Amino acid sequence: MDTFIQLTIDALTLGSVYALIALGYTLVYGVLKLLNFAHGDVFMVGSFIGFGVFNALGGGSTPKVPVWLLLTLVTLAAMVGCAGLGVVIERFAYRPLRDAPRIAPLISALGVSFFLANSMQLLFGAQPRNYNVFNLDNGALYLKGFDIGQVRVPLLRIITITSAFVLMLVLWFLVNRTRTGKAMRATSFDREAAAMMGIDIDRVIVFTFVLGSALAGAAGVMFALRVPTTVSIGFVSGLKGFTAAVIGGIGSVPGAMAGGLILGFAESYTEGYVSTKWSDLVVFCLLIAFMIFRPQGLLGRADIRKV
Amino acid sequence: MTDSTPHSGHVPAEGPAVGQDEWVARHTERRLRREGPLGRLQNRLDLVPWWAWLVLFLALFSLFPLVEKSGYVRIVAFDTVLYMLLALGLNVVVGWGGLLDLGYVAFYGIGAYTYAFLDSNQFHVHLPTIVSVPLIVALGAVVGLLLGLPSRRLSGDYLAIVTLFFLQLFQTLTTNGDSVGGHNITGGPFGILNIDPYSFFGHQLPIQHNGIFNVAYLYVALGAFALVFVALRFVNHSRTGRAWRSLREDPLAAEAMGMPVSWLKLMSFSFGAAVAALTGTLFAAVTGSVFPLAFYFVLLITIYTMVILGGSGNQAGVVLGALVIAPLLELLRDAGKSRVIFFLVLVGGLALASRRSRGLAAVALGTLVFGFALHAIAGAVHADWVAGEHQGGFAGVVDHWVVAPAHLARWIPPIAYVGTIVAVLVCTLLRGAPRLVALVPTLYLAAFVWENVMLSKPEPARYIVLGLILIALMILRPNGLLGERRVEII
Amino acid sequence: MKKAIALALAVLATSIVAASAQGSSKVANASTAVSCKGTFDLPFLTPLTGGAGFLGTEQASWAKYAVKTLPSQYGLKVKLLLGDTPAEAGPAPALALAQKYIADPRVVAVLGPSTSGDAGATAKPFFAAGIAEVSPSATHTDLTYGTPGDPLTGTPAFFRDVARDDQQGSTDAAFMIGKLHVKKVVSMDFQEPYSVGLSKEVDDALQKHGVTVIHFSAPNTTTDYSAYVTKVPSDTDIVFFPTQKPGDAQTMAQQLIEQGKKAKVFGGDGSNDPSQFKVPGSYLSNFAAPISLFPYNKSIIAGWQKDNPGKQVGSFGPPTFGAVQIILQGIKATCADDHGVIKARHDVIRHIKKVKIKNFILGGNFAFSTKTNDPLNRGFYIFQIQSNGTYKLVQSPGA
Repeated sequence: MDTFIQLTIDALTLGSVYALIALGYTLVYGVLKLLNFAHGDVFMVGSFIGFGVFNALGGGSTPKVPVWLLLTLVTLAAMVGCAGLGVVIERFAYRPLRDAPRIAPLISALGVSFFLANSMQLLFGAQPRNYNVFNLDNGALYLKGFDIGQVRVPLLRIITITSAFVLMLVLWFLVNRTRTGKAMRATSFDREAAAMMGIDIDRVIVFTFVLGSALAGAAGVMFALRVPTTVSIGFVSGLKGFTAAVIGGIGSVPGAMAGGLILGFAESYTEGYVSTKWSDLVVFCLLIAFMIFRPQGLLGRADIRKV
Repeated sequence: MTDSTPHSGHVPAEGPAVGQDEWVARHTERRLRREGPLGRLQNRLDLVPWWAWLVLFLALFSLFPLVEKSGYVRIVAFDTVLYMLLALGLNVVVGWGGLLDLGYVAFYGIGAYTYAFLDSNQFHVHLPTIVSVPLIVALGAVVGLLLGLPSRRLSGDYLAIVTLFFLQLFQTLTTNGDSVGGHNITGGPFGILNIDPYSFFGHQLPIQHNGIFNVAYLYVALGAFALVFVALRFVNHSRTGRAWRSLREDPLAAEAMGMPVSWLKLMSFSFGAAVAALTGTLFAAVTGSVFPLAFYFVLLITIYTMVILGGSGNQAGVVLGALVIAPLLELLRDAGKSRVIFFLVLVGGLALASRRSRGLAAVALGTLVFGFALHAIAGAVHADWVAGEHQGGFAGVVDHWVVAPAHLARWIPPIAYVGTIVAVLVCTLLRGAPRLVALVPTLYLAAFVWENVMLSKPEPARYIVLGLILIALMILRPNGLLGERRVEII
Repeated sequence: MKKAIALALAVLATSIVAASAQGSSKVANASTAVSCKGTFDLPFLTPLTGGAGFLGTEQASWAKYAVKTLPSQYGLKVKLLLGDTPAEAGPAPALALAQKYIADPRVVAVLGPSTSGDAGATAKPFFAAGIAEVSPSATHTDLTYGTPGDPLTGTPAFFRDVARDDQQGSTDAAFMIGKLHVKKVVSMDFQEPYSVGLSKEVDDALQKHGVTVIHFSAPNTTTDYSAYVTKVPSDTDIVFFPTQKPGDAQTMAQQLIEQGKKAKVFGGDGSNDPSQFKVPGSYLSNFAAPISLFPYNKSIIAGWQKDNPGKQVGSFGPPTFGAVQIILQGIKATCADDHGVIKARHDVIRHIKKVKIKNFILGGNFAFSTKTNDPLNRGFYIFQIQSNGTYKLVQSPGA
């Protein structure tokens, strides 16, 4: 039973990070019908921005501000930085290709992903960076927390899971209860009709990228708080976020959240109960099964091709 | 060599005939309108049949090892031929079939691993090459067919995802394949080692003599290349090829015309996979070992760049793309040669662009002056700032033109790099005179970054160049060098 | 159509015939004579990009420093050539680069390859070309201690200045059994040659002494070990963790504490980095004591730190410095023997074998074993991390 609880906590932690990344993919796909391969690398850049700010504010051993403020500032910095990066990428790598055959922005995205990952390696080297939050407040983040049965849930995980959920709630609010959100949903439904209705498509797309990339930045910080980050995490995490978005139904916001959590649970339970070697395989097979039998995912709309 | 013009070598028609499109009919008119000696030369070249070009190319490539004896150059040439083969194969899937296959490298790996199974100590089977290679090509075709099955129901983006995951699947399976039910099948992360080289009629073809690469393998690879090129050309000029073209241009219309769309897609996957499998056997034989990670994503992006640079859909184009990119990547490992390439490209690009606009010639001059001035000022302020040591080609340029400090403060590379990118992006936004003015510091900053940041770490720099080429290609010239401009009817 | 097929077949046949008639090359080979007066080229095959890039970058910085300061002491001029062999690309880049260096007549010895996989792949070409290799980090046992016919067996031209994996495995296991009195151990591998080989050595040694061993295998890209930690039984004494990324060792140790397990992490030489791996109570083994323990290294450390401001002295760098020193001494001895000229490239191999160095950077005096091309009397040192994060030596080789 303890194992189960522990694995569930793991699943929630993993799943919330995946969900945040998946949301970025889903938002952009909904509006542009583009799979933004560079999204995983934006996530990676976010973790590095966070690392920089973290150390600028004193780092794990001698923080200059209280812990909660430190974490908030780091996350905000990453979100802002990534939002800016996302806007630049959209403006220069995707906007010129908006009317090109669909293969073109996909390949451009591949190029951007490649470019980002190697640029970071050029500038910051290949070694892993650790936030070192272990020593903050004498290990408070790891040792304090509450207990479920025999299992202790440390503060760090609580923070990760709750902030992820808060962000998802904010996003849901933005998409469903504001005018810009409505414009986004309209654009994702039918771009031409939305334009004819007077919606400024360019602004909506920029807004989408800002949202998606900011979430990726936050995810990057949450990821890197617990494990070391390197320049190559973008690819793997991008794939997983991608899988989550597709399983949940690409284009659907609640779908991405659901997909992320499902992926987290699938990975965690497979590692725990079946075998750690084959956890990746299970994830891939899950995706391929979905693609073959239900390509629109769990909550997505079946694609109706207009002739 | 123009694969796509059906009328080369024909007598000009007199006005549109029945069943001929206006634009097509005017093609010969347009062609005859080429003037001047260059135009006449072009007309002559158009008459040369495609196979003559192929023979010429093969002859030149074959004679090349007589001139260049270094084992290193020969092995790079061999690698280039492998890349050409892979580009030809990918061209079938992406260029002719119009399918975005992100798992192509997995077929390469399957070919290599199967060769390792059939010709090494892994299972103690040692088939002669004449038997194993065709078997593997056939296996590749079958696997391509199988992978193509999900493609029937999936459109572009989804297909890309599935194929990408197929590649991941391949890597996972080969990495963990050393304990499948207690049996070691794929050698796991260690891979399979001591693979037999090619053997013909009972004689093994050694990979090296006294440590130096055996040039015979270059000839074998060229032979395979010729075979594949000719075979694919015939497929392209058959009914299947024409069906592929129509499928690519407008899948809906093709389906409405009764073409077996699914079958066509499967065929393109199949052909591409077969070519990749063949190349895999060559790779395994020469490298002597296979490793799960050798078939990785970076290789995929490299092949894509070659195909797109050359012009997807055009065989000669993708070969050209491979010929450009493969040696380029190898040359960029060396600081001196990288510098030479950078400056030649810069100067050449400016010169070519200056033909259209005088302004760019002024930019070139301006940058030159700007550079010398800055270098002089920097040297005057602090001798250390221009004291860096440089070796290799064009070192003189650096000593006198680019500011190259002996030691760079840690914050300089990121700021300079990001600054260069911002400057380039700003230049794309401006127009006219402000753009010309902005170009001068941008070019100089780019040279500075290249020299001080990228040359100190040529390895990621190579890949950055690749990524940039890909992005620029898609935005500026998606049809590449020899491809045809595609019009997608929405 | 028929004409073209006939053409294609003719081309193929010609190429096969041409292939059977092999050409010879007149560039540098095993018996090329090399003058000692010019500049020698010293290639270094190491992963500078990719997942193992941090290893190569650290080693390269020490190689650069060695080439800057050492050659003048031997009256030689040396130029360092860096060859990038990213781990992900397998042995192919190493093979291509090997060709490049074999063809270069100013190359008589090679530094590296750093990874065991590349070393195994390039051993035969280099030996056939008469070029000696001295590796600072390829520790796979079979490279100098294997049986012929073994895939990764080295050649008489392959040397290294650090101890082998089997020595590390037996030392670690003996420490765990003798000093820590372990009853249950979890050992992990990361699906790559180094950890798979090392963990197997340790597992075998432990199981022979009746210790319960549970083995986990994680993909190399794993960064979050929570699921594995969950499966670690609460009565486990030690988690043997031969990672090559110190940050992962830190993560593992932290997550063990997070889940309230009492097991301590025992890392291999790949986890040696006080700035990253510093959870108190953990252990690690390393093929060298920190070089700062030896007073004669002070000027070397100071000089390196001046060239590399802000960087810490790691564990992969100093053996590279030592390897350069061995190569230079070997070249010098060959030149002295042959009066200013190296008569044949492969002579250098003999002289490297006989190299003896006093006050070696890794401690003590250096010589090669007579039986294998491994260093004599090099062993593994075991450290424990103190509560202030520093490493304390708790066992020296031979103890």
